[in-house]
Amino acid sequence: MPMATFEAEALASLDSLYRTALRLTHHPADAEDLVQETYLKAFRAANRFEPGTNLRAWLFTILHNTARNRARDRARDTVAIDSDVVERAADAPAPGSGASTPETPESVLLRDVLAPDLQAAIDALPDAFRQAVWLRDVEEFSYAEIADMLEIPIGTVMSRISRGRRSLFERLNSRRERMSERRQVVRVGPHDKVNEDV
Amino acid sequence: MKMSNCTSIDPLVTPYVDGELPAGERQHVDDHMRTCPPCRARVAAEEAARQLVHARKAVLTAPRAPGSLREQCALFARAGLKTRATPGTPTTTPDTPTVVAQVFRPASGARRGAWRSAVLPLALAASLVAVVGGAFLYRATDSSNRLMAAQLTADHVKCFGIDDLLGTHDSPAVVETSMLSGFDWHMHVPDDLEHSGLDLVGSRPCLYARGKVAHLMYRYQGRPVSIFMLPRSARADDLVEVFGHEAVIWSVGDRSFVLIARGSRDEVARMASFVKASLH
Repeated sequence: MPMATFEAEALASLDSLYRTALRLTHHPADAEDLVQETYLKAFRAANRFEPGTNLRAWLFTILHNTARNRARDRARDTVAIDSDVVERAADAPAPGSGASTPETPESVLLRDVLAPDLQAAIDALPDAFRQAVWLRDVEEFSYAEIADMLEIPIGTVMSRISRGRRSLFERLNSRRERMSERRQVVRVGPHDKVNEDV
Repeated sequence: MKMSNCTSIDPLVTPYVDGELPAGERQHVDDHMRTCPPCRARVAAEEAARQLVHARKAVLTAPRAPGSLREQCALFARAGLKTRATPGTPTTTPDTPTVVAQVFRPASGARRGAWRSAVLPLALAASLVAVVGGAFLYRATDSSNRLMAAQLTADHVKCFGIDDLLGTHDSPAVVETSMLSGFDWHMHVPDDLEHSGLDLVGSRPCLYARGKVAHLMYRYQGRPVSIFMLPRSARADDLVEVFGHEAVIWSVGDRSFVLIARGSRDEVARMASFVKASLH
């Protein structure tokens, strides 16, 4: 690939790298640093990029490697990084998941949840799940590409996506239920007891 | 046929939801779900979350990288590609050869405003100094020394790159004044030409507008040298290689300094120790 093309194509991923870095760091300044370091490494290692492979995925891999190294260097976020803990925690059945209501709330959720609430719910996910869901559903990478980026087996990628999505659903759904209960309270008046059986 | 249990379905759910399952396995999941309400609910929840993210994707992907970040990364591209394009470049090669002929002024007699405009051949153009009183903003985060050096090296390359367009020439007094007013930096610009091999050429504001960093541009034996002064951040003294340049980092009081030039480590470290002794 000619250098000018490489440069232009690499820079075309800037926005999506920045967005992803924001999800990783939660701080704009840290996200900018992370993206800069990603490009710094990418341009220095441009001769190691294999033409014909996915340049965008390659950049995302560098981004995630860099983020991991930084977290390691700073020896913090140990709980969030310890994906075993996260995954064991997520193995516990979600409350109410066994006894699903016959009335499925999926379409209501799709209609009612606004983007900012969705964004907040995504940001509130444990790191491991947020990364997997984000890379799959927003940035639309393949399982194999995500496995490379996160340095985890493909099976783990899929289970993290799965748990991340379900956790997202649970959060948004319970939030929506709380909101509608609150509305109900307002409607029936503050002195009336809200009975879920009604 | 219906002997599948929830555990065997487990790894198939996500590719099922994503529509990436082969027909046979897809059927397997469908069969299981008919008899298993919890798995049905699980698939429905995952599908709902996936659909929701897809439906709101335009908003989720709306945030764009700041223009300054774009600019900086583009500079990295230029600096990085330039470095790679000339592997093993002799250390005397300036970053921006086109600048040399236009900016270099004679060293002899070129003191304190008595500048000549004659252009000298490269061989004679040793010992010149350009000084830039930069009012450009640098975010002094706790980024790594390497990243900071890379940012500054990119600025170094860029500033020397545009220096042929703006060749103002100020005296040390002017530079010292602008450093004092712009950065509260009481500095003494080295003017001991014979001893230092450095001479002052000029001062201009750096166009890159972020942060609060002074950028002094020198030429040393025909080679661009930059000295950056920034508010001290918690970083150790260091010498890092980036984009084929050496960056020496040190701190004095509440300021950090970074000297950037091409050359051997020893050579650049020597320049830095001279500057350390001269700037205060």
